[in-house]
Amino acid sequence: MNPRFFSGMVLLMTVWLVGFASTAMAGDDPLSTIRNPIDKVITILNDPQYRAPGQESRQRDAIWDTMIPLFDFMEISQRTVAQHWNTFSKTEKSDFSDIFSRFLGNIYIDKIQGEYHDEKVQYLGQNFHEDIYAEVKTLILRQATQIPVNYRMLKNNAGQWRIYDIVIEGVSLVKNYRSQFASLLQKNKPTGLIRILHEKVAHHETELVNPQPEKQKK
Amino acid sequence: MRCHPVKSVLWIFFCWGLALTCFSCAASRPPAPSGPSSSPGADAPVSSDPGAESSDWYDPFDDAAPSDAVSPHTPIADPLSGFNRAMFVFNDKLYFWVLKPVAIGYRTVMPTPVRKGIKNVITNFMMPIRLVNCLIQGKGAAAKAEVGRFLVNTTYGIGGLFNPAQNYPALNPPDEEDFGQTLGHYGMGNGFYIVWPFMGPSTVRDTLGAIGDWAANPLTIIRLSNADAGFLSESETAWIVRGVDTVNSASFRIGDYEALKEAAIDPYEAVRDAYIQHRNSRIAR
Repeated sequence: MNPRFFSGMVLLMTVWLVGFASTAMAGDDPLSTIRNPIDKVITILNDPQYRAPGQESRQRDAIWDTMIPLFDFMEISQRTVAQHWNTFSKTEKSDFSDIFSRFLGNIYIDKIQGEYHDEKVQYLGQNFHEDIYAEVKTLILRQATQIPVNYRMLKNNAGQWRIYDIVIEGVSLVKNYRSQFASLLQKNKPTGLIRILHEKVAHHETELVNPQPEKQKK
Repeated sequence: MRCHPVKSVLWIFFCWGLALTCFSCAASRPPAPSGPSSSPGADAPVSSDPGAESSDWYDPFDDAAPSDAVSPHTPIADPLSGFNRAMFVFNDKLYFWVLKPVAIGYRTVMPTPVRKGIKNVITNFMMPIRLVNCLIQGKGAAAKAEVGRFLVNTTYGIGGLFNPAQNYPALNPPDEEDFGQTLGHYGMGNGFYIVWPFMGPSTVRDTLGAIGDWAANPLTIIRLSNADAGFLSESETAWIVRGVDTVNSASFRIGDYEALKEAAIDPYEAVRDAYIQHRNSRIAR
C-alpha cells in the first residue's frame, strides 16, 4: 500500500480522535477552552482553501467566529474604563462594549491574518485563583524569538471560562487601554469616547476594503 | 587636551543622567508622604479605595510590583512630556523612513539562518552584561545558566553562531538581565519617563542603567584596552556592531511596533504604558 496514503489515514484518525476527545472534555478546563480555538485558528491560517484570491474575508470571518466567543467583552470594557464605568449609562455601557469589541476584533484579527509566519503556540500551564479566576500561560514561538502571552480568564455564571485580559510580554492590554481611556475620559463624556472608537473602527474598515480590490487584480 | 568625541558625548550623557536622578529624587520625595494630592476625586489611588467600584477591576494575577503610578490612569510621572512627545515623533519617523526600509531590504537579502546566526553571535558576545547583573542581584542559578550557555554556545555553537544550549532548560536563564533591572531589583523607582532620540523609551533609572550596561559591554572593554581589530579602529568596530545589531534585531520584529501603534487610541500614551509595564514585569521576574 502507498505509504503516503497510510500516513494520511493515521493523521486523519488522530485528528478525528483528538477532535472527539476535545469535545468530550470541553467544559471546565480554562486551558482547553482556549487551546482548541487557537489551534483551530492556526489550522484556518494554514488552510490552502483561503489562499485563493478573494477568500481573505471568508478566512477573516472564520477566525472571527472561532475567537470572539472566548472573550467576555462586557468584563473587558468594565475593566478598561475602570473608575469611570459608573458614569456610563446602561445604553452607553452596551454601546461602548459593542464598539470596543469590534475595534479589538478588527485590529487583532487583521494582525493575526496579515502577519502570520508559521508561528507555533506552546501551552505552558494554568494557574487558578479562588476557583473563578485562571491564568493560562502560553509561548508564541517565532523564527528567532519567543513571546510570552498569558490569558486571564474568569468563570461566568454559566460555568464557562471567558478571557478578560491578555498579557503580552508582561504588558496587560486592559491596563494599557485603561491609561489611555482615563485621559480621554477626563476631556470627553462617555459618548465622546464611544464616538472616537466609532471613528477608529470606520477608518480601519475603509482601509480594509480599499486595498483588497488591488490585491485581487493580480 | 585631546578628548575622543564619543567619550565626551558619553560623559555629558552621564552627567545629565546624574543631574536627572538628583532632580527626580528631589521631585518625587515630597508628595509621597502627604497622601492624596490636591484633586481628591480623580487622583485617589486604586488600592486605598475600599469602595465597591475598585473590585470591578480586581485582578488576582496583577503582581503588586513596585509601582511609580502617579494616579490610577498615569503609570509614571512625565514632566518632560513636551520634549518626550517631540522625540516620540522623531523616533517614529526614524523608524518608518530609515530603520524599517533598511531592515526590510536587509531581510530580503539575508537568509533567515544568517540573520539568526548574527543574532546568536551578538547575544553570546554580550553575555558579560547579563552575567554581571545576575551576580549583583544574587541570582545564582541564572548566573550559572549564563556561563553554561556561553561555554556551550561558544564551543559547540561555533563561536556563538548556533544556540545548541536552547534545548537544555538549565542553560536558559529566565530573563535577560540589565543594570536598569538591577537598580529596580534593589528598590530604585523609575523616576520619570524620558524618550531619547534614537534609543527610544526610557526612564531616569533605565538611563542610568544604560550607562552601567555600557560599562559592562565587552565592546567598551575592548575599546578601553585599545585592541584594534586590524584595519578597523576599536570605536568603528563598536559602531558597526551596534548598527548591525539594530538592523538585524529590527528585521525580526517588523510589524510589532506598527501593531502596537495601530491598536492604540493615543500611541504616545500606549507606548509609555507598555514600556513601564514591560520593565516592571521583568524586574519582578
